[in-house]
Amino acid sequence: MAALLCRQNWAARVRVSKGKKLVTYEAAHPPHYIAHRKGWLSQHTSNLDSEEGAAERLVEDVFIRRFLHGTFVGLLAQEPVLKRRANVLIICLVLFQNIAPAKIYFLAAYTETLFSHFYKCPVKLEFQTVSSMLVYKYLCAPGPHDWMKKPLPSSASWNFPRL
Amino acid sequence: MASRRTGAPAAASLPARQTRGCATRCRSVREEGGGAGTYQVPGRGGKEWYFPEGRVPPFPACAVRDVKMAVRWLGTVSWRQSGQLRGRGRLQAPGSGRAQPGRLCSESASLQKTVSDPGVPNEEVVIPRRKTWDKIAVLQALASTVKRDPTSVHYMIHDDPFLIPKSSTEFHIFALSKQSGENAAKYIIHEFPRYFERDIAEPHIPCLMPENLIPQIEGVSEAALKERIQLRKVKASVDMYDQLLQAGSAVSLKTTNSLLDLLCFYGDREPVRDYLPDKEMTEEFKEIAPIKQKEGRYLRNTKGIGIYNWRENNNAERIFNLMPERNAHSYCTMIRGMVKHGAYMKAFIMYRDLLNERHRADVGTFNALLLAAPRMKENSVERWELTKDLLTCMAQQNVQPNVLTFNNILKGLKYCGALGKTASLQVLNEMKAVNIEPSLASFKHILDTFDVLPGGTGKIIVDILNNIERENVVLQDPDDPLFFVTAMQVCMNLKDLELGYRVHRLLETRGRWRLLSMNLQYAYCARFFTLLCMMEQIDEVMKWYKEMVPSLLYPNYKIMHDLLQAVDAANSLEMLPQVWEDLKQFNHVCRPEILKQVLTLMTREQHPQETQMIFANCAAEIKSMLEDSENTLFSHKWIASILGDMAIIFSRAGRTQDAWNMLEMLQKQNCVPSVLVLDEVLNSIKRSNLPDQALKLVKLAAEFSLPTTPKLASRVLEEFGLSEEQKKILKNISDDSDSDSDSDK
Repeated sequence: MAALLCRQNWAARVRVSKGKKLVTYEAAHPPHYIAHRKGWLSQHTSNLDSEEGAAERLVEDVFIRRFLHGTFVGLLAQEPVLKRRANVLIICLVLFQNIAPAKIYFLAAYTETLFSHFYKCPVKLEFQTVSSMLVYKYLCAPGPHDWMKKPLPSSASWNFPRL
Repeated sequence: MASRRTGAPAAASLPARQTRGCATRCRSVREEGGGAGTYQVPGRGGKEWYFPEGRVPPFPACAVRDVKMAVRWLGTVSWRQSGQLRGRGRLQAPGSGRAQPGRLCSESASLQKTVSDPGVPNEEVVIPRRKTWDKIAVLQALASTVKRDPTSVHYMIHDDPFLIPKSSTEFHIFALSKQSGENAAKYIIHEFPRYFERDIAEPHIPCLMPENLIPQIEGVSEAALKERIQLRKVKASVDMYDQLLQAGSAVSLKTTNSLLDLLCFYGDREPVRDYLPDKEMTEEFKEIAPIKQKEGRYLRNTKGIGIYNWRENNNAERIFNLMPERNAHSYCTMIRGMVKHGAYMKAFIMYRDLLNERHRADVGTFNALLLAAPRMKENSVERWELTKDLLTCMAQQNVQPNVLTFNNILKGLKYCGALGKTASLQVLNEMKAVNIEPSLASFKHILDTFDVLPGGTGKIIVDILNNIERENVVLQDPDDPLFFVTAMQVCMNLKDLELGYRVHRLLETRGRWRLLSMNLQYAYCARFFTLLCMMEQIDEVMKWYKEMVPSLLYPNYKIMHDLLQAVDAANSLEMLPQVWEDLKQFNHVCRPEILKQVLTLMTREQHPQETQMIFANCAAEIKSMLEDSENTLFSHKWIASILGDMAIIFSRAGRTQDAWNMLEMLQKQNCVPSVLVLDEVLNSIKRSNLPDQALKLVKLAAEFSLPTTPKLASRVLEEFGLSEEQKKILKNISDDSDSDSDSDK
């Protein structure tokens, strides 16, 4: 049912256009697959019944994502996943191996300390590095003779990223 | 069995305890840290389970002991009563909503006094003292169950293959970059504190708030001076003091003393803080100019250049001279500051002034003077005399020595030669007489005096180890962790493996790895491993190697060299491929000495074919490495043997083409191959049956004008089936070489 309406909906969907797009698992699935094939990027309990602070968590998330986007420039292979357990904020990142490991340590320690002081709670950064993009799907625009060709073989990499 | 105990509280207090409700009782157990309580049945009055003698309770064993204790002082409990109580307790225990999980008894639990039935005979009841636990006692107990994991890297390193350091330098770089990241964050926080002041933590967490480093009190006053001293701002406080003096107001003695403390501790320079905003940093850099003093430097300065930086006429001295009145504290501070920063002569002059003014010096001052004493004199006898003078002064002034005093004396005695040996034993006896426990640092200094140089006897260290193993050691002196390094050095000198194991066991118990910093840990492990390589069987060596590398130790060139020698001595050359892998990982293959050693080991004897194949693979890797670097790495003397050995390995493994390539490379380098090389290559050529190749080999030998050319030629003639043409060519070559050798004569 949701699939039928996908033509008119444009939220968080990567569409085929000219050129070849390499799409990760998380980006390739539109939002109606959340809780079916996708998880959540930000996990906290304030959306449960009689829990408070959902708005504050949202604002914090937005700030954290912008900060990470700016600090780890070109290094984020995926959207960061934020998990809140008790008082602790755990930020899970998947980084590329573009820069020297010493610099990754520098940025990670900087982020952890800054966030701890900003939000007055322990902030832990858990990251892993990956050598190239974790491609789930290649989106290529069909050419004039593509109807003659066989369907794409399943050699597209099935690296399911860790969420 | 009824046992009378003394000192029992009066029976009147019992009812009072009894009225404490279950809730309060449980809470008190929880307050005690949870380790001290006996198994408390949450029920009415919190009765204990007790059983008559001889009955086995259905509880874990540690509960039994306590229960028996309970039984013992209650005297003989009648069966009926215990049955009643047990019944009551049992009804409420299982389904109780209060969450008291089975709290097992520890060894010396504090026995909670429970109900006393009127039927029980009135025994003297002794309530043991309440045991207080540290806040982190549970965590420490949990931590003691976990041993060091030899397969993991340091805790600080992130668990990702790209981010794990592969050598000691890399590890240091990662550690430093992590710390500098934190400093960068702290810089931002201190530069813009207004963004970090929103206090949303409940309860308040002070360490996450920005530090207030700017003095609040403006104006010239004594309170402002005190505040600056407290914020550790050296320059600002000195300025404030000068302003106060100029304004004419008197500064109290106490404040001046604290200012002197600040100046002497930091040696008149700002304390180093990496995250200060820039403007403060630039002022600091102008003042750095350590002055080397010629006097008081009879001992070699092993600590580094930075220690001698007490400048002439610096602020501390100036303020000291300006003070209208000085008390003992001022003199003491000055002396300690001078000794800390290397102005030993001045310290002694100040001390003389102190004595003239008839003040009393304190323990810290005497410790500092004792540290400075050996550097004042040249002769060991004079040094010891000076130390004894100081000690007599100390006794006269009735100052009690402490551990650091004795440690400093012992530290000085190691420069006193033979006199020092007898004296240090006397000092040890004094320590025991004054009832001060010798710390690890004292043992370290004694070891230094006696045994560090090779050639000493091993008796002292055995005694010391006996002493330490008996008791639990507490850190008392900043030099304590150095003990392990020195002890292992002594074991190495004595070549005693048993002692080495004992020292290592000392370190392993109770997680004493925490005592060692990274540098010390490296030094200790390097020495331990060298000792093992020298003395142990190869299997044990490999076992320890696997355990220590890479979690504790990134092996450097010398350690690898020792390991290869051990492999050599044990003749177990099948370990070589493993060692080769490690060599590659730690980037030691660039060193020609290591390569040479590895190759000589490989070529020493004939091996079964599989091993030869593996060796040949290693040699191929070396070859590709050489080709990549275009032979710029190695000097002439290494190349000949390296290439020759590689040729031998290739020929033994049956890779003729590679062996021939090696020979060509040798020729290019203008190095002469040895006889063995040529023989082996010829063997391999024979096996692959290439007569042309054999002819080329003889030609090569002839070009080098080797004396073995005729022998080679004759061999080729016999072993190969040559055609007529080839025989003619062979004859030509050998004739040429003969004529050459003739003409040489």
